[in-house]
Amino acid sequence: MTDPILEFEDVDIRYRTEKGNDVHAVNDASFSINRHDYFGLVGESGCGKSTIADAIVGGLDANGEVTSGTIRYKGEEIQDYSEKEFNRNVRWKEISVIPQSSMNSLDPVMKLSNQAVEMAKYHTDLTKTEAVDRLRELFEVVGLSESRIHDYPHQFSGGMQQRAIIAFALYLRPSLIIADEPTTALDVIMQDQIIDYINGLKDDWDISMLMITHDISVVFENCDSMAVMHGGQVAETGSVVDVFDRPRHPYAILLQNAFPDVRFPDRELAVIDGHPPQLRGEVDFCTFADRCPWAKPECREGAPDPQAVAGDDDHQAWCIRADEMEELAADHLDRNATEESILEGER
Amino acid sequence: MSRLSYFVRRTAITVGLIFLVASALFFFFRAMPGDYSSLLIQQGMNPEQIAQLRADWGLDEPIYVQYYEYITNLLTGNAGQSFRFSQPVWELVAPRILNSFVLVAPAITATYIVGGLFGAYIGRRRGSPLEKSGIISVSVFHSIPDFFLGIMLIALFSSTLGIFPTSGMLSPATMLQVQDQAYWQRFLLPEFWRHYTLPFMTVLLYFMQYPTLIMRNSVVEVSDQEYLHYHRLKGLPESKLLRKIIRHASLPVITLYPISLAASISGLVLIEVVFNWPGIGQLLVSSVLARDFPVIQFVFLIAATWVIIGNFLVDLLYGVLDPRVSVAGDED
Repeated sequence: MTDPILEFEDVDIRYRTEKGNDVHAVNDASFSINRHDYFGLVGESGCGKSTIADAIVGGLDANGEVTSGTIRYKGEEIQDYSEKEFNRNVRWKEISVIPQSSMNSLDPVMKLSNQAVEMAKYHTDLTKTEAVDRLRELFEVVGLSESRIHDYPHQFSGGMQQRAIIAFALYLRPSLIIADEPTTALDVIMQDQIIDYINGLKDDWDISMLMITHDISVVFENCDSMAVMHGGQVAETGSVVDVFDRPRHPYAILLQNAFPDVRFPDRELAVIDGHPPQLRGEVDFCTFADRCPWAKPECREGAPDPQAVAGDDDHQAWCIRADEMEELAADHLDRNATEESILEGER
Repeated sequence: MSRLSYFVRRTAITVGLIFLVASALFFFFRAMPGDYSSLLIQQGMNPEQIAQLRADWGLDEPIYVQYYEYITNLLTGNAGQSFRFSQPVWELVAPRILNSFVLVAPAITATYIVGGLFGAYIGRRRGSPLEKSGIISVSVFHSIPDFFLGIMLIALFSSTLGIFPTSGMLSPATMLQVQDQAYWQRFLLPEFWRHYTLPFMTVLLYFMQYPTLIMRNSVVEVSDQEYLHYHRLKGLPESKLLRKIIRHASLPVITLYPISLAASISGLVLIEVVFNWPGIGQLLVSSVLARDFPVIQFVFLIAATWVIIGNFLVDLLYGVLDPRVSVAGDED
């Protein structure tokens, strides 16, 4: 029934530090992306989203490491591949990346054509001319003039650089693209164009995508399924419709209520108190417990196990109170709304 | 504007600047208190003799005539006569420039290579004890006055250990021997290199700070750049990434190198004096003490010219190394 292209199973990722209290950036993360699906990964800054992206393509910083768990791509475990194997078989040929902040990702002292040639050198046997020709084709695909392939990045506008980055991502015809905040640095019109463009790839190129963002609306509009992360833990995962309509993790519930919704323009926006947690040392508790209005002592005594949400396929919440959340949330948000409006009246 | 017309314009500006410096030097020296010719006038001369002397040197002419003479002479390669040695200034200065160059060019070059590599090395090990001690030690060597550093090295290696001679370029006896030979032949003598070691070390230790700290900062900064992360994601091996880091990070160091070299060739006055190295800096000091104005004026002009040319070269070099620095309006 499901045909996963990428699976994360109980993955831990740590960054070693000088003084020995390692940063446990990702803890026990599990989710899976189906073939031909667009998968959204949302969460606040520092929650481990980009670390996950880096880990998939073997691009963690030198002090980062996947310490346990498995990452499977098309059924193959890839987390222990050597650099060489990974370069030959997976990286860019199967999984490519649209990096965060495309505006600063192109090497400023290299012509775009040379950057393509360099990439081809590490993954293919293409000759220089073939490599340049292929970039020329892709420039046409992403809507850039092919006469500009010998330009330097600074001669491009932000939107053009973004397109060039997409051309690079498609360069070796991958099956999975990881888009790390693909639209963050762009203005809304350009964002819309790029998102439309990325959506078009799905059928034209038969691509699956892991879209990392802190913009829930991007996920809602474009993705089939999603995961919400908080403090290095996956909080909830499921189809976009399930997670939006029946959120069961407190963070997912509050996050959803923190965004304006065109269907309920008068709704008060929720505020999530507290700060993102510091992830130094062992993480054997729910990282949201300190910010959660419904936390119980048990929440701090062990990392939560996933709870399947009854009635939905592949919808899981990592909260020990997931079953009662629906009622709790309804009460809480109602009461909050009245409190807020009283304050409003006094002013 | 094309690259060629940029080059032409930049060259014209450079030449104009040198001309301005030459003019400023001329007028500054004549605006100084005290007579320009005071070195020539000796006690017991009568006014007629003094007037005769001033006429001989052309000092009785109106200042604009003197200025015209000075500029036209410079253009024909005549820098005037030294009061002290009654010898053309150029003949006096030329061998000194060579001596300075022989010491400073290799020493500053070595400083930039060693300092650049060391800076890159500690930049890659940010936060390590080696980085901290490295920064402290290069800073300490630069905080000590250069002449004092030289004296300490002499005290240690010459006076105490007796490994190297205390000063000079060659011993006086050898100097007489090589006088008639081609200049490069002294490089074959071990004695030359023993004299060479300590001043070379002084320059190296004293100037290590610039390239080391700049390279270190630059490496730290470039390592955090997004494009480097993207290169890593694309699967470039670590060795290749390191080369890219060095390539980007060395830009500011490369920029500083010609300027530093140009400034040092005429600027290492104290080191030359401490080691009694017969270079241009040493000549400058003795000429100042003797009020030998034509020599001082010309040495200043040479010094300024080096720096101007150094900057000019950096401008040209930068356009080649970094495509973002393009000639104004150089869009196709």
